[in-house]
Amino acid sequence: MAEAILDTSREARAGSSRPAAVIRARGLSKTFGGGRIVALKEADFEVRRGEFISLVGPSGCGKSTLLRIVAGLLDHSGGTLELHGSPVTGPRNDVAMMFQKPTLLPWRTAVENVLLPAEIAGKVGPAERKRALDLLGMTGLREFAFSFPSQLSGGMQQRVALARLLQTGADLLMLDEPFGALDEFTREHLNVELARITQEVGATVLFVTHNIGEAIFLADRVFVMTPRPGQIAKIIDVPLPRPRDPSIQVTPEFNALVAQVRSTLGGH
Amino acid sequence: MTPRIDFLSFAGRGVALTKHLAVFAALMALWEFAARFGLVDTILLPPPRQIAQGLIQLYIENREIYWHFWVTFLEALGGFLIGGGLGLILAVGSAQSPSFRRYVAPYAIALNVTPGLALTPIIIAWFGFGMSSKVALGAIVCFFPVFVNTLIGLTRTDEDTLEMFRSLGASRWQTFLKLQVPEALPITFAGCKIAITTALVGAVVAEFSQGTAGIGILMQRFAFALDMSSAIAALLSMSLLGLILFYLIEILDDLIVFWRRDRRMEAVGRRRQARWEAGLSKSRD
Amino acid sequence: MTDVVDLAPVQAGASRERSWLNHAAIFLGLMLLWEGSSHLGWLDPLFFPRPSDILVGFWRLYITQGNIWGHLGLTMAEVLAGFAAGSLLGIALALVVGMSDRIRRYMKPYVVVLEATPRIAIGPVIIAAFGFGWTSKVVIVMLVCFFAPFVNTLNGMVNADRDQLEMMRSMGASKWQVFCKLMLPDAMPEIMGGLRLAMASALGGALVAEFIASNAGMGLLINQYTGVLNMASAFVCVLTLTGLGFAIMWAMEAVDRRIVFWNDRESTAEVSKRLALAWAHRNGDLA
Repeated sequence: MAEAILDTSREARAGSSRPAAVIRARGLSKTFGGGRIVALKEADFEVRRGEFISLVGPSGCGKSTLLRIVAGLLDHSGGTLELHGSPVTGPRNDVAMMFQKPTLLPWRTAVENVLLPAEIAGKVGPAERKRALDLLGMTGLREFAFSFPSQLSGGMQQRVALARLLQTGADLLMLDEPFGALDEFTREHLNVELARITQEVGATVLFVTHNIGEAIFLADRVFVMTPRPGQIAKIIDVPLPRPRDPSIQVTPEFNALVAQVRSTLGGH
Repeated sequence: MTPRIDFLSFAGRGVALTKHLAVFAALMALWEFAARFGLVDTILLPPPRQIAQGLIQLYIENREIYWHFWVTFLEALGGFLIGGGLGLILAVGSAQSPSFRRYVAPYAIALNVTPGLALTPIIIAWFGFGMSSKVALGAIVCFFPVFVNTLIGLTRTDEDTLEMFRSLGASRWQTFLKLQVPEALPITFAGCKIAITTALVGAVVAEFSQGTAGIGILMQRFAFALDMSSAIAALLSMSLLGLILFYLIEILDDLIVFWRRDRRMEAVGRRRQARWEAGLSKSRD
Repeated sequence: MTDVVDLAPVQAGASRERSWLNHAAIFLGLMLLWEGSSHLGWLDPLFFPRPSDILVGFWRLYITQGNIWGHLGLTMAEVLAGFAAGSLLGIALALVVGMSDRIRRYMKPYVVVLEATPRIAIGPVIIAAFGFGWTSKVVIVMLVCFFAPFVNTLNGMVNADRDQLEMMRSMGASKWQVFCKLMLPDAMPEIMGGLRLAMASALGGALVAEFIASNAGMGLLINQYTGVLNMASAFVCVLTLTGLGFAIMWAMEAVDRRIVFWNDRESTAEVSKRLALAWAHRNGDLA
């Protein structure tokens, strides 16, 4: 079931056994106001299939901008960007995004919210309906499938949003501080869930946060970004084994990585 | 499926009702005494007993009020449907096209600041003596609340949800139907509630100026004949009409905008669950 | 509440001038269409006066005959007197009732019934009681202007912020202080909203009263002119009232911005500057 959730046919057709680069950016930049404001300065990076990348940095470092560009919601001003080998021109069905606000429609039940991407694509049959229910089961909300958003807590609403994200069938997931509005305990729990689910379905994830611990806990690699102008200052590997338990956050290896990130951020 | 009756809330509401009735009875008694002791001019403000007599005469003995009631009801409803319908259409148009909105705006504002009731003689000159002038005036005065409320509802869509729709590749039409319209419904209904009571005002005022049938003209006849108790009875009938019109919209609001009320939400959720599960088991067979 | 929408989104610089030209062009176009249809016989000039006739009417009513001024003044007087008396009464009563939860609860059914009733319907009753003169018009406007400020002020008082109330009480504020320093300013946006609604209905109320029975006033003029099918002059009166309506709307908006300044960014900045200056003056450190 896990493999059926994502459309991995593209990779199968490519026929390579080594994980290929699904996101390729060269000199990617974004300016506003006719070049006066540089939101993102020349980002160069590659992301392989199944990788979990955290983008971390203070406000103004361009992390959300970068995410939106990859998702196709924002045009880039310079450089090149390819997803699965084809250039990005707008929103596409192999990349999907999740926001800090759950943006669930209050007049729809949870499962109907999850079904929204299928409705918009124009394909709603018994298969899609069953899949929506299964996805809710995967995020632990099967009994709340027919509850309305106002009857759910903030954490539960974000889990519904996550199920909706998976329903799109996209294998590239962009998450913009999805747990930023939740309390610490809920956030930690949801991080563990997120790591488990994305590993299970084999998705490639770009995850934006300003919480250094969270960034390292979730990621295979961390893009440390600094502001003025926004840019990727350093890419740090996180070789910690999976699955990861929250208790690793007190280990010396973990804290060494935190120190690395902090020193890169320096005075920003 | 029998609805669950919550006995506790029933009892609670019963207690509140008796308290309100007690207060009402006390006020009526006070009024009656004041009239008895000459504190209130009984010609201008007849005591409750006389008003009650007037009501009995209107509703039970004479019975012509039912027809007048129906006439004014139709006038108000007709005015609301026409004015509200026009307001809806223009609001949808204005929401879709900012330039349409910009060029319609001055005329809409001008219509709003003009006391619509000032147009009464003109409307009557144009439409004549029948019901159409009442409907026309009603339509004019209730256009704006529906127009502006619907416009607000359609244009103040949540930015993040709009972006979410865009990220899913939704077309403009899909975004309009699946997001903007449901989101605008609560505000539109609020505007409709204002509009329908305003349409009643329009109908009644038109009747004052030139009418042969309707509660408005009935009340005016009584008042000018100094039959104050019947006039006030007619006035109370007008209140009843206003309440009926208001609750018509309220019931529709309750039915359609279910996600604002807990109990309705639960009922709708259960119904959808039943439908889903029936559909799924059918596909499994 | 129909006033908080950006009906005509503002544009910058050159495009704003262009849009003014477009507005003017559209208006002129409509007027020409109207005038043309009338001459071509599509519109009966008896019922739909030509724009040219209306313009002539303006000249006549305002300048050569000059009869409109007296009636305008009278109607305005009725409106202002009734508005002032009615809304003041409404606000005062609401402030008193608002302090007691119990009274408010018992009043609720009567308020609901009153809300559904066209307040103006009481017109004929008042006129029958008070006669054809000036008094009945003012009383009618008073009754029309009572309701909205009453209900809105009541709402404003009920929705006081719990946290803020607790804060004031923790500082040992007396009931009167809480009222003056918290509840009243907090209820101000609602009160202003009620006043604006009242103002909107006041003019209509006065006119309707004049329609029913009157010897003078704009309502009478409109009635008389339509009675003899002098539609051009009737339109002049209505357009005058439109202008009056605009003036009233701008006046109320200006007052609203000054009193409830904390809702509007520009006003807030202005007031903040003025207060900074006043404080500096008082403490004598104005360099």
